[in-house]
Amino acid sequence: MVESCYIPKDLKEALRIRKETQARPLAGGTDLMVVHRRGTGVVPSFPWPVMIVSRLPQLQGIFTDGNEIVIRSLVTCSEIEKNDDVPYQVRKAASLLGAHSLRNLATIGGNICNASPKGDLPVPLIMMDAKVVLLSATGKRILPLDEFITGPKKTALHSDEILTEIRIPVPTVPYSHIWYRKIGTRKANAISKLSMSAAITFSQERIVTDFRSANGASGPKVARSREVEQILIGTHAREIANKIPEILSAYDAILSPHAMPEYRRSSTRRMLHYFLTKAASEDCERIII
Amino acid sequence: MRQTPIGNPIRRVDAVAKAAGTLKYVADYHFDDMLYAKMVRSAVPRGKILSIDLPDLPTGYYFISHKDIPEGGKNQLQMIKSDYKCFAENEVRFIGETIGLLVGPDRGELEELLSKVDISYETQPYSVTIEEGLECKGGPFVGDDNLFCDFTIDKGDVDKVFKNADRIFEDEIRTGWQEHVHLETNGAVALCEGDKFVIYVSAQCPFYVRKSIAGLINRPYEDVIVRQTATGGAFGGKEHFPDVLAGPLLVATYTIGKPVQLIFDRFEDSAYSVKRHPSRTRFKTAVDDKGNIIAMDIDVVYNAGGYESCSYVVLQRGVFHATGVYNIPNSRVRGRAVATNTFPSDAFRGFGAPQTLFAVETHLNHIADSLHIDPLELKRRHFLKKGDVTVTNGHINENVVLPEMLQQVLDQSGYPEKVRTYEKGSYKGIGISFYNHGGAFTGNGEQMIIKAKVRLKKNRNGTVDLLIGSTEMGQGLQTALIKIVADALQIDPKYVRYPNPDTSKVADSGPTVASRSTMIVGKIAERAALSLKERWNESDELTVEEEYEHPEGFPWDQATFQGDAYIGYGWGACVVEVEVDPLTFEVNTTGIWSSHDVGVAIDELVVHGQVNGGIIQSLGYAAMEKLDFSQKTGFKQVGLSDYIIPTSMDFPSQRCTLVENPYEYGPSGAKGMGELVFNGASAAYVDAVSRAVNRPIYSIPIPPETITELIS
Amino acid sequence: MITEIRFFLNNREVSITTDPLKRLLDVLRDDFHLFGTKEACGEGECGACSVLKDDKIITTCMVPVGAIQGASIMTIEGLRESERGRTIIEAFADGGAVQCGFCIPGMVIAAESLLAEHPHPTDEQIRLGIAGNLCRCTGYDLIVDSIRLASERGDGLW
Repeated sequence: MVESCYIPKDLKEALRIRKETQARPLAGGTDLMVVHRRGTGVVPSFPWPVMIVSRLPQLQGIFTDGNEIVIRSLVTCSEIEKNDDVPYQVRKAASLLGAHSLRNLATIGGNICNASPKGDLPVPLIMMDAKVVLLSATGKRILPLDEFITGPKKTALHSDEILTEIRIPVPTVPYSHIWYRKIGTRKANAISKLSMSAAITFSQERIVTDFRSANGASGPKVARSREVEQILIGTHAREIANKIPEILSAYDAILSPHAMPEYRRSSTRRMLHYFLTKAASEDCERIII
Repeated sequence: MRQTPIGNPIRRVDAVAKAAGTLKYVADYHFDDMLYAKMVRSAVPRGKILSIDLPDLPTGYYFISHKDIPEGGKNQLQMIKSDYKCFAENEVRFIGETIGLLVGPDRGELEELLSKVDISYETQPYSVTIEEGLECKGGPFVGDDNLFCDFTIDKGDVDKVFKNADRIFEDEIRTGWQEHVHLETNGAVALCEGDKFVIYVSAQCPFYVRKSIAGLINRPYEDVIVRQTATGGAFGGKEHFPDVLAGPLLVATYTIGKPVQLIFDRFEDSAYSVKRHPSRTRFKTAVDDKGNIIAMDIDVVYNAGGYESCSYVVLQRGVFHATGVYNIPNSRVRGRAVATNTFPSDAFRGFGAPQTLFAVETHLNHIADSLHIDPLELKRRHFLKKGDVTVTNGHINENVVLPEMLQQVLDQSGYPEKVRTYEKGSYKGIGISFYNHGGAFTGNGEQMIIKAKVRLKKNRNGTVDLLIGSTEMGQGLQTALIKIVADALQIDPKYVRYPNPDTSKVADSGPTVASRSTMIVGKIAERAALSLKERWNESDELTVEEEYEHPEGFPWDQATFQGDAYIGYGWGACVVEVEVDPLTFEVNTTGIWSSHDVGVAIDELVVHGQVNGGIIQSLGYAAMEKLDFSQKTGFKQVGLSDYIIPTSMDFPSQRCTLVENPYEYGPSGAKGMGELVFNGASAAYVDAVSRAVNRPIYSIPIPPETITELIS
Repeated sequence: MITEIRFFLNNREVSITTDPLKRLLDVLRDDFHLFGTKEACGEGECGACSVLKDDKIITTCMVPVGAIQGASIMTIEGLRESERGRTIIEAFADGGAVQCGFCIPGMVIAAESLLAEHPHPTDEQIRLGIAGNLCRCTGYDLIVDSIRLASERGDGLW
C-alpha cells in the first residue's frame, strides 16, 4: 500500500521509496506546505505521496570539487548566504529570498524543483551554467539547470529521481564585473517582480571574452540567450556603447513577461544599459551596484 | 498627588501579557463540545441563487442558512443601516457574500464538505468601478440610481465667485481599496449560557454586535451577551464587520445548541472582508489674480460596495474634510456613495477623511505647480485659524497651532533647503502635507445617538473597576483611561482595573471608533472619578455612573449638515523625503518628520506609537497596498504574500513631535488622535515622489510599475 | 499515515503520535495548547507563528511536524522562562513596542534570534532581523528601540 507520507532515514531509503511510490520530496516545506494547506487545524492534503527529506544527512553541505562549487540540495538559503565559497550573486539571491525565518527552511533543491518563474536562485545559477545532479536507485544524470527547468512549475526530473547536488563551475578567469539586482514587491520579505544577474569579463586588452545575463520573473522560465551574449564577445570596451542598442533589443526579444510587461521590459533595459556602460568605463568596482 | 505630568509614559497595562504570549485572543478559546464553522459564500459578483446542492451531511454536521432564522427574527444585520443581510436569500450582490454556515466537529471534514457544496446562479452583469456603479451597469440594484446617498453642502456663493475667477483649475484624484490587515483575523465563538446567548468576539464595539444580531432570533438586546476578547488590531475592520460573523454564529448556536467557533484564515479575511472606500474626487477651484483660492467646487464619490452599512457616515466625514485645513471662502461639496458589486466598503482608520484629505492636498500641489510656487506657500496662506468658518458654516473653536507645527517639521527636515537643492526630476524629492481630523461623532451625534455612560466601581480592597464598553484593540486605551481615572482619583494606576467589556456587566460607553474614546469617554471617566473621589468614604463598595454632557454653544443641524460638525480637531503636518531609483523606479524613503496637535498627550509613548503606526499605514496606502477586483476571488491580492504591507525595512525611523494645545472639553486637555495620524503621510509621500520624477500624480497607490507609466 | 514524532519542546523531550504532515503550528496550538504561537497568515509571510528550531527562527505554519524529529523547538512559552526571554519582554513593555500584541510573541522570538547572532546589533541589523515579522500597529520604530534596549540591558546574556 502506498502511504501518503514517508520519512526516510537516509538517501538510500529515500531513493527506494521514490522508485517504488514516486513519493515527492518535501524539503523546507516553504512552498509545498503553503500550496497544499487546508486551513487552521487541518492537515495539508497532497495529491500525491510525499516524503519528508529535510533531515537526510547525505544531502547537506557545501564544498569545492575541482573547478566546481557543489551545493547539496538540502542546503538552506541561510547557509548559502553565509558561505564565502559560494559565488556572490548566488549568495545575494539567497539572502534576498523571503524572510530570515523562511530562509532557515527554504532549500536550494526546493527552490529549483519548484520551478517558479519568480524563483530567485535559478537566475544567477543559470547565468553561471550550473548543473544539477539527479540520482535514482539505478543511476545518475547530470543536466544543465537551464535544461532541467523546462517551464513554469515544470522540470525534467524523472519520477524515480532525487535532485542531490547543484554544481556551479567557477570560471577560469574571474568575471571582471558582476551584477545582481532583485526588484521585490517591497524592500524585504519580498517576492520577485524582476531579478537580473549579469557578468562580463575583459581580457587585458579590454576585449570582452565573456558576457552573460539572465532574468527572472520575465517569462515562463529564466530568460537567457547565448546568441544575444555572443554579440558582445570580442568587442573592445570602448565599442560597447555602440553595441548597446543591438544588445538591448535582442535581449528584450527573449523576455516574455506575463504581467507588467512594460515595467519589466523597461527596467531590464535600463539595468542592462547601466551595467554595460559602467563595466565599459575605465574605473568601476567589480561588483556593480 | 500627581507629581509628574500625566503624559509621562507608564508601562502599558497589557504589554507583558501580550509579549509573553499569555493573553488569550479569540482563537485561543475552547469550550466543551465546541463545533467549528466554515462560511459558504457567493462565488459570483451578482446573480440570483437558483439552487444550493449540499453533499450528504454526516451526523453532527449542519448547514445553517436564512431558513434557520426563527419566526419573528429578521434576516438583517442592524448596522448604521440595516440593509446588510445576515444570509443571502435569493440574490447575491458581491463575491464572498454569506450564504450559509457549515458547522461540525472536524475542520478537515468541513473543508471536504465545503468543496462539495454546489450552488448554481443566474448571473447578471455587474459593476465594479465607481463609473460602472454610477452608470448602473447591469441595471441598478439600489434604488433607481445605485446611490446609497447623495448630498451637497454649500458655503458662500460658489457660482458667483467662479464667474469672477482669474483662473480655474480642474482636477480628478483617486484612491484605491485598502485592506486593514489587523494581524489577528476576524473571529468569534457563540454559545448558550442559561437562557442567554454569549458571543466571544474580536471586536471594537461589543454593544454594536449585540444590537446588530439580537433581532435575528427575535430577542431583546439583553439576551445576547457580548464579551470582547483581546483584539489583535482592528483599524475599523472590526467596527461593523464582526456582526457578519456573529450573526450567522448566533443563528447556528440557537439552532444547534452547542458552542460554535468561526475563525477566518488570512485568505478569507483578506478576500472576504470590508475595505476602505475607493474614491474619486473632482475639483474645480477658482483662484484670484493674487494666487489666492477663492472658491472650490468639489464632487466626491465613494465606492460603497454591495451594502450601505456605514457608508453614509463615512461619506459625511469625507465631505466635511474635503477642503482640508484651509479656509476656502466659498465652497460646494457634493458627496455620493455608489453601490457596486464589490465587497462592502466600511470603516477604516480615518473614516472617509483620508481620501478627501489626500485629494485636496494633491490638488493644491497641482495648482501650486501651475502657479510656479512651492505648495507650502500656497497652503500656509490658507491655513484655518480660530474663528474661521468651516465648510458646514460652523466655526473653528480652538487655537490652531499649524504654524508652530509647521515650524517644527521645517526645522527638523530641512525642507526649505532641500526644496532649493533638489531639482524637479532629479530623482530626489521632498513633500509636505497638512491634515486634521474632527474628534468624535459628527455634530451632536454624541448627544443624540450615542449617549455614552461610564461606570466606576470602588471595591472593598480599595481597587477601582472601570466598567465600560470601550475596547482595547492595540491603541492603548486601557492604559490611557486607567491613567485618567487614577489621576483624577489621585491613586496609583495599578489600583485601577479595566477589564475587557462584557455587555451584561458594563455601561455602554459607545463604540470604540471616531477617535472618541480618550476625548469623550475619557472625559466622562474623569468626571466619574472625580465624583467617586468626593464620595469615596461613603461606603466600602460604591458604584458611580456618569453620562455624556454636551458642551453648550455648538449648533448643529443633522438634516442640513449645517453648523459645527466637530467641536475640536486634531491637527497634523508631515514631511516625507524620497529618492527614486532611476533604473527601477523603486522609491527609497529617506526621511519622515511629523508634528501633531493632539491636545495633551495622555501617555507620550502611546501617542508616539500611534503616530509611527498611523504614518506607516498611510505610507503603505500610498506606496504599495494595491488591491484590485478579481472575478475569481473578489479581490486579486489576497493573503499576505500578495497584498503587500510595509516591513521594518521599507521605511526609515521617524522623527515625530507634538505641539501641546490643551482642549477644553477633553480629559486633561486631550483630543482624539488615533485616526488623525493616518490622514496625511500619503499626500506628503506622493508630493515627494511627484517632485522627484517631475510628474503630476493623480491616484494612489503608486508602486514602481505605476511610476514607470507616469514617466514613459 | 500516523507516526510517532519525538522532539524537544521548551527543553523537555516530548512525543506525539500524529500525521507527520500536520503543521507544527497546529501541533503546538492544538496538541500542546501553546497559544503564544499565533497564526496570522498561514503562508510564512508574517512571522506571528515563529519559534526557534535548533536555535534558528522558523515559521511553524510551513513545517510538517514530521520534519522536526529529534529537533529542539523553543516557543515563547519556553523563552519567557529564560533570563534572555524576560529581558526582551520587559524591554518590549518599557519601550512601547506592544500595541495589539498579536505579532509580538513572534517578534520576541525574532529578537532572541537576532541577539543570539548579534548581541549588539546596529539599527539596520535590528530592522533586517525583524523584517520577516509583520506588524500593522507600531510602524516598527518602538520595536527597534525596544530591541536595542534589551541588548543594552542584557549585556552579557547573549
